[in-house]
Amino acid sequence: MGVGGTEDLQRSDRASQAHAFADAIVTEKPEAGDRSSFPSPNVVNGSDSRRRTPRVSVIVVLPENHVVSPDRLAQGLRAHGDQPVDVVVACAGQPTNLAALQKSVGDAQFLLAPAGTSTEDLRELAMRQAPGDIVTLLRAARLPESGAEAELFTRT
Amino acid sequence: MSSSRRLSVIVPVRNSTDTLARALAGILSSELPRDDYEVIVVDDASSDGSSELAARYADTVVRLTGRTSGPAYARNRGSELAQGEVLVFIDPDTLVRPDTLPRMLATLAEHPTLDAISASHDGAPAARNLASQYWNLLRRFGEQRQTGTSGDVASPCAAIRRNVFYAAGMFDEWRFGTAPLEGIELGERLEDSGRNVLSSRCLEVTRLKQSNARSLCREVWNRSILLARSLGYHRTLAAVPGEVAFTLSRTGAPAFAIACAFALSAAFLRRPNLPVLITIFLLGMLALDLQAYLFFVRERGVRFAIGAAPLLLLLQGTSALGLCAGWLLRDTFGDRAPDAAMQAYAEVGLETWPPVPRAGAG
Repeated sequence: MGVGGTEDLQRSDRASQAHAFADAIVTEKPEAGDRSSFPSPNVVNGSDSRRRTPRVSVIVVLPENHVVSPDRLAQGLRAHGDQPVDVVVACAGQPTNLAALQKSVGDAQFLLAPAGTSTEDLRELAMRQAPGDIVTLLRAARLPESGAEAELFTRT
Repeated sequence: MSSSRRLSVIVPVRNSTDTLARALAGILSSELPRDDYEVIVVDDASSDGSSELAARYADTVVRLTGRTSGPAYARNRGSELAQGEVLVFIDPDTLVRPDTLPRMLATLAEHPTLDAISASHDGAPAARNLASQYWNLLRRFGEQRQTGTSGDVASPCAAIRRNVFYAAGMFDEWRFGTAPLEGIELGERLEDSGRNVLSSRCLEVTRLKQSNARSLCREVWNRSILLARSLGYHRTLAAVPGEVAFTLSRTGAPAFAIACAFALSAAFLRRPNLPVLITIFLLGMLALDLQAYLFFVRERGVRFAIGAAPLLLLLQGTSALGLCAGWLLRDTFGDRAPDAAMQAYAEVGLETWPPVPRAGAG
């Protein structure tokens, strides 16, 4: 009985600790590049900010001589749902339709690597720039079909 | 877009740049069509650029921040993003063969009652130094003699049906924060709930990591402590007799008895001849570990077996001390548990990123 009572008391203390922690983080807003640790006394004291959800980034790699239509790129990014994502488009060389791509995904960050940069190097380069906790790397070939005008083709 | 994927490969990494590229390249060289599987790498707060390296190969990279949380936590985070019907956990220091993934998938497809399957180490590790070769052979020795009812559903490479993994409560993130036995614990839970786990001797993978005597001692120490403190020695011995800690500790009690007998006999001798006594003791140890030494001779020859003898003795001593420490900790402080604040956050179900570690639910 006595032991059970002590356990209940401890549980109650822990729960109040947790609620205090929850109150602490609710008042804080996510910040760019926010990186924090697991709950610790520092967190409860408010010296470290936390988020409730992970930040998601999507990297689209466009190797040299590959052109993707703006529609197809936008549709591929929409496939990730309504959650806000940071988009990084890494290109080897400057795509001929760069302006159209930039227009179709306005908030995206475009990385223009020198022509001839390998796909692997592009992915690594983009990863360095992506701020997300969860980073999805899309291959251009896996972008969804979105109609006849949205075909992925290779310049010859 | 990727709902058709049959398999999700999850690789937890922590400062693994020395082996990660080769491990991931091995996965991508699988005979399975590329669109049939996804590769998810979960970076457990590395400081060596493992996540950037992983991005060269993976479909998804999860970056965990703050302090390291262990492979169990990392694997669970990866599984939460997985879309495949089957989850495959591969260590970042493990090289799979081109046919490993298709064979795992085929085995699970052919045996609907089978829920998980784990691979074993082959006899040719990538690192050529004595400690790495010895450790690989020691683990292989245990795996080849495995006759238990359960298996290690994590290391070095294991596949499990996703629904079974979720139903079992995933890996225990509380007790297995740093030590690598979460797969054995999950295997025991699966067995308790009537699930079938196969430890395959035919599916072999190559160990890439280079070890030294110090890293091996640390590994054996961690395993032994956790074995005694959290898993229960005898229960786990029945389930997974091939675990390397059992291989090392099996001769512990007889060795201790021999040492005591010689110490007593030396006390009664007027002029104890120490070199002779030590030689007899070592011969006794050799006899106790004869099966292991014969295995070493068969696999690598007599010179290797002789060279490995001091390492075997060192690790046996470390394992014995680790087991004693584990029992002492269990009887004094109880099982491993996170600090009170973390338990509280988990109880309340607080949503944060990275999530608060949680215990594996039965």
